[in-house]
Amino acid sequence: MRRHSRLWAALALPALAWLGVFFLGAILLVLALSFGTTDPLGNPVFAVDPSSYRTLMEPVYARVLVRSLLYAGAATALCAVVAYPVAYSIARYGGRFKNVLIAAVVVPFFANYLVRMYGWSALLADEGPVMRVVGWLPFGPERMVSTAAAVVGGLAYGFVVFMILPVYAALERLDPAVIEAGRDLYGSRLATFVTVTVPATRHGVYAGAVLTFLPATGDFVSAQFLGGPEQLMIGNLVQEKFFAGQDWPLGAALTVLLMAVLVLCTVGYVRQGVRREVS
Amino acid sequence: MSTVTRRALLRAGTAGSLAAAGAGCAFLPHRAPAGAGAERPVIRPEPDGDLHYFNWADYIDPALLKGFAKEYGVEVLEANFDSMEAMIAKITAGNRYDVVFPTARWVQRLAAAGELHPLPLERFTGWGHIYEEFHDPWYDPGSAHSVPYQMYMTGIGWRKDKLGELSGSWNDLWHEGAGGRTYLLDDRDEVLGAVALLLGFDLNETDPVRLERVCAKARTLRPRLRGFSSDDHTNMLNGNAWLHQMWSGDFLVAVRASGDAGRFGFQTCREGVPVNSDCFAIPRGARHPGTALLFIDYMLRPDNAVRNLRYIGYPQPHRATEGAFREISAGFPQLRISPAELAFGHQYRNLPLAQTRLRDAVWTTVKAA
Repeated sequence: MRRHSRLWAALALPALAWLGVFFLGAILLVLALSFGTTDPLGNPVFAVDPSSYRTLMEPVYARVLVRSLLYAGAATALCAVVAYPVAYSIARYGGRFKNVLIAAVVVPFFANYLVRMYGWSALLADEGPVMRVVGWLPFGPERMVSTAAAVVGGLAYGFVVFMILPVYAALERLDPAVIEAGRDLYGSRLATFVTVTVPATRHGVYAGAVLTFLPATGDFVSAQFLGGPEQLMIGNLVQEKFFAGQDWPLGAALTVLLMAVLVLCTVGYVRQGVRREVS
Repeated sequence: MSTVTRRALLRAGTAGSLAAAGAGCAFLPHRAPAGAGAERPVIRPEPDGDLHYFNWADYIDPALLKGFAKEYGVEVLEANFDSMEAMIAKITAGNRYDVVFPTARWVQRLAAAGELHPLPLERFTGWGHIYEEFHDPWYDPGSAHSVPYQMYMTGIGWRKDKLGELSGSWNDLWHEGAGGRTYLLDDRDEVLGAVALLLGFDLNETDPVRLERVCAKARTLRPRLRGFSSDDHTNMLNGNAWLHQMWSGDFLVAVRASGDAGRFGFQTCREGVPVNSDCFAIPRGARHPGTALLFIDYMLRPDNAVRNLRYIGYPQPHRATEGAFREISAGFPQLRISPAELAFGHQYRNLPLAQTRLRDAVWTTVKAA
């Protein structure tokens, strides 16, 4: 037994080393950078200079951060609403085509995210195909690009696969006997779905929410292509500071702030989930 | 005050503030370019390996790259960057490219940091075609490290079919009819620069009080703004933009792609416009500087320069291309850049770090607040 555990520890070592260097190391590097300065060519120099954090006190950063959290939250909710029926249909009615259907869901996401968002911006442009059709409707929106709805929709489209897969996995693992028991107790289809299926698979939604919310909050591509100045997200500012602004210390400080907020959100969310499970 | 007088004053002010900035330019070591370059061996124009080429995407006629590869029996390995900063980051991270395309002020910064090979101009058979203004440009004394590639201005492009005629001022960015369909370039210096020129300040303004005014003025544009985007020709073509702060070369790309020149207008502005140029340069770390030298000379050949101009649509400071540019920009004489504009136009300069940070903070406020 002991030999086995040693073997497993040895096998885990490369992965742990990898994580140590490229995950923990990267985080420490970002933390160090956030206290640094830059040389004349804009390259980062390590120092102990908290001025980047003082800059973060300006209200513009808080406002953009809150907006990012709201957009990501809305996109996550939208993902859950879209993903659950899709995952449910595949799990319940997919039969022997389940794997093919899952592949059909995943394959479009092999295309680069940037390309997909660029595609959306072309589709939704004022003189693009969608607006040409919408223009005929009596109550159609005047525009789609540069709206919050477009950005949230873009985020949801970009990350929905991260919601579908865990929800599908949870539905797959759901014992059919549990549903049968619900039916045996004279529950209607709907009642069984609401009182048995959904609660029994909510951990899949929790996992999907975390997987969707985290990358969506830091995303900058959706706001870049589908948003206007009122829809900028924190990721856009990070990108701006690292590239155009060449202010790596401020970019790093923003990244640290974003990570801290996301860790707090995630811990709070998971604890909430655990509490609900226990009660 | 007449426009001429004001512009003259502005130029005088510019010269003064630049002298002041130069004095405090801690990052530009005095005469560093010549000193840094002198130790390096002179490059010979002979094939010494494949060409590692690093440029903006689609910023050269691909047929010319193929032609060069065939003529000299080398391969051209292309990589692209999407901003000057990304290019610098790649070079300083140790990636080795043979030929790169920095803008004027980045040539100055790279040369000052000792990152560029000195170029033996006498070896370029096509050098005589280059405008005299580029033989000793402000950003690279004696053209020691760079060869000019393209020139462009920043002005306002607009949809004539939607807005009619404009007034010829940067004030047109506030055009009533274009509310909600106005775009500014997603570029700190272009946006702050345009508003600074409108207010009669320097393009590279660093005075905190004046920058405050630039910021306040720019923010009045925010409610009418649809976005900040550097994809200017796409925004014009897909109808998202009716009014766009625009690079002159991109405007011509949009007009040529639409096939309907009558719908579009482009204006330079009476308060002055930024004039900019891109260059060829060979980084210090180049593995095959001989091939790179041959490549630059190949691009300076009159027939190749004309061919390239017809492909990308940006004017070149190269005498042989003048006729071809007049032809492709027919109907838009304002897109031509005269030597006078190159000498006296408003150009982006390198600033000390503290002033760059200040401008960056103002930009964040304009863009995101």
